[in-house]
Amino acid sequence: MNSNRIIDHPVLGSFEDRPIIRFTFDGKEYEGFQGETIAAALLANGVRTLRVHEESGSPRGIYCNIGHCFECRVTVNNQSNTRACMTEIKEHMRIESGKLQPAPLKSEAGSAHLPRTYAAFAEKHPTRKDGDLDV
Amino acid sequence: MEDIIICRCEEVTLQHITETATKYKCSAREVKLRTRAGMGFCGGRTCRPAIDTALATITGETPGHDIPLKVSPPIRPVSLAVLGGKSNE
Ligand code: FES
Repeated sequence: MNSNRIIDHPVLGSFEDRPIIRFTFDGKEYEGFQGETIAAALLANGVRTLRVHEESGSPRGIYCNIGHCFECRVTVNNQSNTRACMTEIKEHMRIESGKLQPAPLKSEAGSAHLPRTYAAFAEKHPTRKDGDLDV
Repeated sequence: MEDIIICRCEEVTLQHITETATKYKCSAREVKLRTRAGMGFCGGRTCRPAIDTALATITGETPGHDIPLKVSPPIRPVSLAVLGGKSNE
């Protein structure tokens, strides 16, 4: 269980045994030590991807590890947007990764070609003026 | 190099920022509004120095307080539940 942990550190000393905490991540059971954060416990279990970007689906994990960037946000016991790097694991915690979300404005139905800025709109409709509603 | 992601929350690349700043000859704030760089979940607290630095290189704009990129309080994102008095547990 300790293969991914630093168990002997020149400054922090040696890793003392602590009670084992069991939790689930996306339905799968994992074990960590009391006092570890979700991010640390999962990393020690070899899990680096905590969520995917909602729109593109590219994988995300720990980035700052100090609670600043929210890159590590997961859902903990139904509480969404919880930072994995700031939250201690507790017995029977249910953790869910962040998933890809539907992006209706970027579908293939042609909406991707809608102008996304005023400048693009003006380029597309040079004769329209501000306030014309029948776009 | 150019496909380096500057804003992770909104996945905005250095290339996108460079193209926008060059095409519209605009301020860091306008780049933010056009590309969404710095408008994501973290509130721009992570990528703001990178955007400022990129703009300093591209347009020569030095980060100032006249038309800033705009960072507003609170210092960190908090949920409405916390603002309403619920504990942060
Ligand atoms: S990794 Fe940055 S907030 Fe958790």
